[in-house]
Amino acid sequence: MARPDARPDARHAAESRLAAAPAGGGAWLRAAREAARERLLAMGLPGRRDEYWRYTDPADLTSAEAPAAAPPRAADGAEPFAAAEPLRLVFVDGLFDPAASDPPELAGVQIERLAEAAPRDLHWARDLFGAIEARGQTPVPRPLAALNTALAADGLLLRVSGRAERPVALVRRQAAEGSDVMLHHCIRIEPGAELTLLESGPGGARTTDVLEVDVGDGGRFHHVRLQGRDHGGRVAAHLFARVGAAAQLRAFTLTADGPLTRNEAYVELAGAGGLAHLAGAALGDGAFHHDDTVVLRHIAPGCESRQVFKKVLKNGAAGVFQGKIHVLAQAQKTDGYQIAQALLLDEASQFLAKPELEIYADDVKCSHGSTVGAIDPVALYYLRSRGVPRARAEALLVQAFLAEAVDEIADPTLAEDIRARLEAWVARHSG
Amino acid sequence: MLEIRNLHVELEDGGTPILKGVNLAVKGGEVHAIMGPNGSGKSTLSYVLSGRDGYVVTQGSATLDGADLLAMAPEERAAAGLFLAFQYPVEIPGVGNMTFLRTALNAQRKARGEAEVSAADFLKLVRAKAKALAIDAEMLRRPVNVGFSGGEKKRNEILQMAVLEPKLCILDETDSGLDVDAMKLVADGVNALRDAGRGFVVITHYQRLLDHIRPDIVHIMADGRIVRTGGPELALEVESNGYAGILAEVA
Amino acid sequence: MAALDATRTRDGVDAQTLRTVEAMAGKYKHGWETDIETEFAPKGLNEDIVRLISEKNGEPAWLLDWRLAAFRRWQQMEEPTWAMVHYPAIDYQDQYYYARPKALSRKPRSLDEVDPRLLATYAKLGIPLREQMILAGVEGAEGAPAAARKVAVDAVFDSVSVGTTFKEELRRAGVIFCAISEAVREHPELVRKYLGSVVPPTDNFFATLNSAVFSDGSFVYVPPGVRCPMELSTYFRINAENTGQFERTLIVADRGAYVSYLEGCTAPRRDTHQLHAAVVEIVALDDAEVKYATVQNWYPGDEEGRGGIYNFVTKRADCRGARSKVMWTQVETGSAITWKYPSCILRGDDSQGEFYSIAIANNAQQADTGTKMIHLGRNTRSRIVSKGISAGRAQNTYRGLVSVHPRAAGSRNYTQCDSLLIGNRCGAHTVPYIEVRNSSSRVEHEATTSKVDEDQLFYCRSRGMSEEEAVALVVNGFCREVLQALPMEFAMEAQSLVAISLEGSVG
Repeated sequence: MARPDARPDARHAAESRLAAAPAGGGAWLRAAREAARERLLAMGLPGRRDEYWRYTDPADLTSAEAPAAAPPRAADGAEPFAAAEPLRLVFVDGLFDPAASDPPELAGVQIERLAEAAPRDLHWARDLFGAIEARGQTPVPRPLAALNTALAADGLLLRVSGRAERPVALVRRQAAEGSDVMLHHCIRIEPGAELTLLESGPGGARTTDVLEVDVGDGGRFHHVRLQGRDHGGRVAAHLFARVGAAAQLRAFTLTADGPLTRNEAYVELAGAGGLAHLAGAALGDGAFHHDDTVVLRHIAPGCESRQVFKKVLKNGAAGVFQGKIHVLAQAQKTDGYQIAQALLLDEASQFLAKPELEIYADDVKCSHGSTVGAIDPVALYYLRSRGVPRARAEALLVQAFLAEAVDEIADPTLAEDIRARLEAWVARHSG
Repeated sequence: MLEIRNLHVELEDGGTPILKGVNLAVKGGEVHAIMGPNGSGKSTLSYVLSGRDGYVVTQGSATLDGADLLAMAPEERAAAGLFLAFQYPVEIPGVGNMTFLRTALNAQRKARGEAEVSAADFLKLVRAKAKALAIDAEMLRRPVNVGFSGGEKKRNEILQMAVLEPKLCILDETDSGLDVDAMKLVADGVNALRDAGRGFVVITHYQRLLDHIRPDIVHIMADGRIVRTGGPELALEVESNGYAGILAEVA
Repeated sequence: MAALDATRTRDGVDAQTLRTVEAMAGKYKHGWETDIETEFAPKGLNEDIVRLISEKNGEPAWLLDWRLAAFRRWQQMEEPTWAMVHYPAIDYQDQYYYARPKALSRKPRSLDEVDPRLLATYAKLGIPLREQMILAGVEGAEGAPAAARKVAVDAVFDSVSVGTTFKEELRRAGVIFCAISEAVREHPELVRKYLGSVVPPTDNFFATLNSAVFSDGSFVYVPPGVRCPMELSTYFRINAENTGQFERTLIVADRGAYVSYLEGCTAPRRDTHQLHAAVVEIVALDDAEVKYATVQNWYPGDEEGRGGIYNFVTKRADCRGARSKVMWTQVETGSAITWKYPSCILRGDDSQGEFYSIAIANNAQQADTGTKMIHLGRNTRSRIVSKGISAGRAQNTYRGLVSVHPRAAGSRNYTQCDSLLIGNRCGAHTVPYIEVRNSSSRVEHEATTSKVDEDQLFYCRSRGMSEEEAVALVVNGFCREVLQALPMEFAMEAQSLVAISLEGSVG
């Protein structure tokens, strides 16, 4: 539950961050920002004592200045998702880079930016901007998302009215050591429409992002996100989504490296027969802290949700999973599944999990599972007895462990891209 | 080819002695059967030869073509030509059967300084071998042994053997849990691999597998030792009289 | 039945269950009140009350100081709100903290001196048939199996222990089993050494309250190498109105000792809520084994949620010694509010903790219960099997923690947590915390939530069972793994309780 009264220090911290709020904007945006401001002040910024921050220290995400991080050095050979030939929209340190971007024209998709739409008095995004974020504040409070809604000056506004002929890629790059990025994106998928959004990044020393998606009845939204590799940025990324009747949302995130990543998701299945699949693979070696905090809320009957989260951790890396399947009384015939697993490759790593079920309807089938452990020694021996060297056998088993999450990517081209990156990461970090 | 001399082995955990001086010499082209009652150490012998953790060799040696098996990692033993068909093949969710086989084949070839097999050649090779064992494409697509029936797992072991073409094959209770038809398939697969350069050690509790895979030499193992060695007629003796008679005679 | 066994009906339900279910009539069957003159301390809680309780028990100064320190601490504490239970604020000043049957104002030397109406109360409790006869002095009662199993009983009535059976026989084995008030007098060195060593007086709001005002409870000490010759049992009963019960149980199993302990609880039907805040501490030294089973059947309140016990209990075992083992089994069917997490601190290398639980919440009941397994020692093992059943408008939460510390190399946990929903107005929730801080350990957690299987119910009914019988049968099957962990008599009792607790849950 959201705290009714924030502790004074948490409220003061929120007030000081809010001092940077952008002025002006059309009536719709001012109202949304003001409401977010009130939400945040009621909660305060997160602290270690908050239930959903017990495993992740938010200090680097709440501090006044972004902790410095050098821009990433290495990059995997190919530009992310190049094979899918997406329409590329590039943000460098949170600033739109028109020169590096493709012309924002795509049949079936109206592409705008928040900064452009802000001064207008009326805009379709009015019904969406901050709205799902506000609903997503319970049962798990998400103060950093409210902070973003109050402060973000730019982001993409996509209105999808047909089947987008190619994916849209949100490409983020980092140039400055201290860039503090805050983008807020809104996507409306009209009934029956379909879009694939590809994200790469993180693209800042610190990123506090919100993506709000409304998938209309029968619509489809695919989301594949790549965080990393070899970057020093801190990330708090939020996905807020509403899924309409018979609509589908499928989201996958690969996180490779990074000192602190908090991926939050709130998805509400609001129409009968909807489907939401959320998956993530996280790979960390050394100074790595990765947190998935996910709520799947079943509001309408007959919906299916799936959460598949896998983490591979070594040399003191830490993984956190906090996931909840929340089934309201009217959401009969719910099918909810959740699995969170960690593979610890050495003694120093750790996995902390809180996989919750909160269920108020009786005709449901919900389950969750969680396992933590090392590589299965019997499988390792079996592979070696067939002549596969130890390092290769371990790499194979790591990839096998991640396979269930990667299998959630429907598009084979994108899945192949992700598999290649996984394989490369495992190869770089084996032994 | 395989030379085992005075092999003594105990459990790492607790130090219980299991093998108490095993001697065995298998030459190329020979099929040896090792029979014996439960708990006699037959499976332990196969695990120790293939390098499974949990056992300590306290005395003795085992060599394959003169190379010290016991000093090698499991994968080195495989590359050297040793193959164990497991009594309980391991399930590995997430690893495709084809990926597994190809990785194993190429790793062994690489270790031996041979060129890797191309994807196309590999596919052709596996399809041909699989057909003989009645393994269909669907089974090849599935993860290693996951959702396989007992018979399918054993056939999959023989398929691996056929693809990897080892010098020395150890079959650990390959007949257990098989019906007659499945046993015939497995035996045909093994017989197809018999040639002058390849040795076999067939570990079994019952004689019936030996009707299909005719051994040259039969050993009876009891309490960690080979207590009797003879021709195929020894297996028939076990079949009609059980182990009790032989063991009493030895004791 | 043969046909039934052969079908998809959940296994483990036998003819006995059916007969038991058929025998059930009426609702909460322990809702009567015994008319016994009771002596109360004044209502409310302050230092004087704490002093009075201590004085009534004839306690030494150190224990009074211990209580007062706890009381002062408690005054600074806030009632916890994290559990998924909702109830109006408790007025801690509107309770009696001490009540004792007048007949007991002098401690009885034997059961003969006990008020016969009190004994009649135990007779009326009806559940522990053989224990009741033994309490009444009928040894080797009829119907007992050939190898008659004796159970020593300590009975706590409102705040006071009224009698313990088989003391002499236990003493010969070296086992101490008595009221904790008596242990304070007779075995002060043991009590002082272990009291509060597992649940410190500062542990949590309710445990701290208990530390200040506990009036009685049971004490067990099993010396090194002794296998306790019989099962030990305590029956708790709240009788007087507006009375809080705060018993404290301390069990110490010395090196290589073994003891099995059973706890049963009932209370009369009342329209007002009553507070129960107990503490149970278990200490297991090297190679010791303790089994602790509870059948909690406090009055749950009526269909509308009027009355019922507020049950806030702290139970914890410290597996202090190497290879020590503690097994908690609980059947929670009663109470309006249940807040209870029997836990194991697996401190000794190779120590083991187990938790088996059935929690049933019907009507307006709310249960938030589970366990904590804290793995500190190397190669420690824990196993959790939790079966939650929700019916009516009830809310039932499993809350658990499995924590594997960096030093606890080679440890294992397996958790299975299943919830069953009967009707669409109830809730079933699962809140596990899993914290693994070394890679040589393996932790597995599985949880499922589903509704009671309509096909199974239909099948049972097509064989002539009423809907309620069918539900009881299917639910008993669902709970089988836990029922099997109970001593036999308790398992029978638990099966029938499952049936009673679910009355009115269907249709």
